[in-house]
Amino acid sequence: MLRFLLQRGGQALIAVFGVVTLVFFIQRLTGDPTALLLPETATQADIEAMRATLGLDRPMWAQYIDFLGDIARFDLGRSFVQNASVWEIIASRIPETLQLAAGALAIALLIGLPLGVLMALTAQKPVSRWTMGLVLACQSMPTFWSGIMMILVFGVWLRWLPSSGTGTFAHLIMPSIALGLLSLATYARITRSAVVDELGKDYVRSARARGVGTGRMVCKHLMRNSLIPIISITALEISQLLAGAVIVETVFAWPGLGLLTVQSIAARDFVVVQAVVLLGAFVTIFANLAADILYSIVDPRVRLSGR
Amino acid sequence: MKHCLQSMVTAAALAVPLFTTSAMAQDITIDLAGEPATMDPHKQWNPTSYYVYRNIFDNVLTRDNDGTIVGQIATSWNQTTNNTLELTIREGVTFHDGEALEPSDVVYSVKRITNKDFGSPQLGQFNKIVDASAAGNVVTLTTDGPYPALMAQLVKLSIVPEHVVEAVGDDEFNAAPIGSGAYAFSDWDRGVSVTLTRNDSYWGDKGPFETAIFRAVPDAATRVADLQAGTADLVVSIDSDAAAQLASSTEVKVLSAPTERVAYMGLNLDKPPFNDPKMRRAASLAIDRLGITEGLLQAGEIPMAQMASPAHFGYNPDVAAFEYDLDAAKAITGANPDLAATPATLATAPVFDQRIVQALQQMLNDAGFNISISMSDMPTYLGIVRSDPSENSELSFGRWSCACQDADGIAYPVLHSDSNWSRVNVPELDALLETARASLDAAVRQEAYNNVHQMVRDNYYTLPLYQAAVLYGAKSNLNFVPTANESMFLNRMSMPN
Amino acid sequence: MTARVTYPSWRPRAVLHWWPVGLLAILLIFALFAPWIAPLDPDRQNLLARLKAPGFEARGAVYWLGSDELGRDIFSRVIYGARVSISVAFMSVILSGVVGVIVGMAAGYLRGWSETILMRLVDVFLSIPAILLAIITVAVLGPGFINVILVLALTRWPRYARVAYGQTLAVANQPYVTLARAMGAAAPRVLALHILPNIIGPLLVVATLEFGLMVLFEAGLSFLGLGVQPPTASWGSMLSTGRNYVGSAWWITTFPGLALFTLVLSANLIGDRLGDRIGKGHR
Repeated sequence: MLRFLLQRGGQALIAVFGVVTLVFFIQRLTGDPTALLLPETATQADIEAMRATLGLDRPMWAQYIDFLGDIARFDLGRSFVQNASVWEIIASRIPETLQLAAGALAIALLIGLPLGVLMALTAQKPVSRWTMGLVLACQSMPTFWSGIMMILVFGVWLRWLPSSGTGTFAHLIMPSIALGLLSLATYARITRSAVVDELGKDYVRSARARGVGTGRMVCKHLMRNSLIPIISITALEISQLLAGAVIVETVFAWPGLGLLTVQSIAARDFVVVQAVVLLGAFVTIFANLAADILYSIVDPRVRLSGR
Repeated sequence: MKHCLQSMVTAAALAVPLFTTSAMAQDITIDLAGEPATMDPHKQWNPTSYYVYRNIFDNVLTRDNDGTIVGQIATSWNQTTNNTLELTIREGVTFHDGEALEPSDVVYSVKRITNKDFGSPQLGQFNKIVDASAAGNVVTLTTDGPYPALMAQLVKLSIVPEHVVEAVGDDEFNAAPIGSGAYAFSDWDRGVSVTLTRNDSYWGDKGPFETAIFRAVPDAATRVADLQAGTADLVVSIDSDAAAQLASSTEVKVLSAPTERVAYMGLNLDKPPFNDPKMRRAASLAIDRLGITEGLLQAGEIPMAQMASPAHFGYNPDVAAFEYDLDAAKAITGANPDLAATPATLATAPVFDQRIVQALQQMLNDAGFNISISMSDMPTYLGIVRSDPSENSELSFGRWSCACQDADGIAYPVLHSDSNWSRVNVPELDALLETARASLDAAVRQEAYNNVHQMVRDNYYTLPLYQAAVLYGAKSNLNFVPTANESMFLNRMSMPN
Repeated sequence: MTARVTYPSWRPRAVLHWWPVGLLAILLIFALFAPWIAPLDPDRQNLLARLKAPGFEARGAVYWLGSDELGRDIFSRVIYGARVSISVAFMSVILSGVVGVIVGMAAGYLRGWSETILMRLVDVFLSIPAILLAIITVAVLGPGFINVILVLALTRWPRYARVAYGQTLAVANQPYVTLARAMGAAAPRVLALHILPNIIGPLLVVATLEFGLMVLFEAGLSFLGLGVQPPTASWGSMLSTGRNYVGSAWWITTFPGLALFTLVLSANLIGDRLGDRIGKGHR
């Protein structure tokens, strides 16, 4: 197992390195930020001068070597669009991103899990069908649409919640719902099939025969055994959330990493984009590694490949 | 979390004035379309940053609400020779840290922004200033040859305190700027908002608001919702249809003003079909400018027939408006249908009003052209329109702004063959533009620009469309006069209850 | 033994089961026969008839569902929009599915270095933010219908790869596969004839659910300005523009929204039913 972990860990690091290299070069395929930093009246000479000041006129491989050197020293670089250190910029957004991810996961789990259990326990009845329909309906509208509808209804017409921005718990509610709705359906479905599987197992029948009530059975036995697929899905859902957050953050003016990524790409702020991708790559790749390990624990038919 | 605590403290601090009897303590919340890139006035070229830092720093000169240049840090000025300008510096101005603003600070600011190593994006607008010196309370600026746009450019030059910048360095200064303006920097919650507090020892008109919060709200629909919900008192960058929705409410109102942005359709004169002057004329005849400004935009836009507007020096009121005659357009394209049907792309970016782009495409296609829209993000769009004419798209739609209100800033880059924006290469035009750029005599300049505009009109070198108007959404009781250069001075606003 | 779901025979299951398919069929008919069904030209602007309510009449033509911000007929645009939404989603699912399944099967069957390289490649693609890929693809290749499909496929194929990989791992040690290999069957033959049929079930479920997601993502790309080029009618771009008019011209966003919702919900329901049936059959 240890050998497996070390090898996969090493491969994960190589994969992260690969992502960042790929992103480094493909970004520069699309030009650079000088045109956006300068006024329209800038002449070609002005543009070249700015490029030289920013160090963007050096050959790409030279810039790449510098970049690698910086990473090795844990220096994420400096954004010339925002005139601040990249670490500062990202660090200021991480709390918001974590809040939003936590909020969305909370919505997805707190509503999705019970609904999934409900659907499993009432599998033959129409309740199950209608619940599934409702759950799938949550996944059937684009987030930018459901976002603005919520803002209008709860922010403008009813004035129950703040219409945009961040700061209090109330600000977190609507963005979390908008983002969590997508994952909700996934969790509900996974929970339902996991619980349905468990329901068919022998220990359930023997527990029922012993007179264990539904409630105790769900909490004590079923959930614990159903937890494994739910956990492995969470690893994938987290990276999904980071991607889906882009639109939610734009609509709700939620200053997280998603919005930062979009704005930095639009401004060709390479340094920030690279840093965000590096961070995201770490999270995704190591989360997938964790999911793979869990998967192999769950299904002993899968022999871990070690090379 | 930190923000919860911060906002609770801010809320408590903001709430305190509500419970006092003072009617003066008031705050304003403004929704911007993004967050400021920097607070250092010399380090960027970005309207969002400008909205905020313009209240923290004073500039050498400024424009009043009618657009006339008036003094701010400079009280009077004198053009002593073709190459030198003398500015008398105001006395009694202090920075937010209590130190006095000296003429040496003005010299320092000029030298900082013209220093190549500093890398200011605005260098191109000030690099004709080769020297600055102070003697007593007079600062003398020396330019490399006559520079008629100098006054207009000085409207944008902010004065930074030498002693602070030298002591803390550029990065620290950006994080905690100190100026001499009506509002002092208080807090910058990156990505979220910037907070300013009133400078009670300001030399000029003090602001009416105790605190001003500038929030970053990227989505236009959300900004409108914020205004309707009462979360914001003033929102920027909304379009006329959004404004129409606000018109029916009594709590909010729409403010508009014509700006110095001119919307135009650039034509590639090197590629078919627009290398043929008749086709260019047909394109112009096919566009219903009034239909666009009054049927679609409805915010006070005015059709233009020149690369200038009434807000610019160098505007020629005698240039005839472009005609709209669809039948005449069709007659021209009908005479040469193959050339007219050459596939042409209209390059644009999401930041421009897409209704206009689509309307233009429809109008041109109705006249027999074959135009398809190619929308890409801003940097890609800039790359396309600034490339060689052979790689450039046949058409582009954009809005030009130089923030200088001088025809030199708009006609020269769009029409002079040296400019990488220009797809025009006409020696007479180049000569006229250079004359206007190098003369300090207003009459000579106006004459040259009159000829430029008439040539463009006669030959359809490019197709100006309209003078853009800017729309703001505001609370009904907010007094704010929008200006042509889209300034947002907090101390010129008021919000009586 | 699994819990088998049975229905008493009197329950009207036909209606409950088949209405998503029926709705999908209606939308498919819209897409296929748009030029015959749509009353007006979807791209024809009428600046004098902007933002008119449903039922508005101009020059003898009736705008059954109202007109948009350029005076175009919403009803016709919704019908033509079906073409864009359905074909973009369908083709990107096919493209990403084919690529992903091939990569996943190869990794799960061949093991060793191939597995390592391919699965790490999957990780790499999963880590690149979709929005970054979208903007770069548009910047390099230009915008347009085909490029939207390419962008969507590029960002989604890893998901199919992971599912195919996991399923292949589980199936690869089955006796019939070992037998085929012992008899000398080459890898492609084994993959195509023995493994693929046994893993296709869960993959189909993923594909139907991805179909719904692709429709939503196309809308998301339009929201960010990277979708199909204007003036082409796509439900995503209509929804995105219509957001700005919810207070004044609710019809611009409501009708494409309903159409999109119907399409995605139907696809999701069908995927869910498929999942039920396949899941039960293969335990």
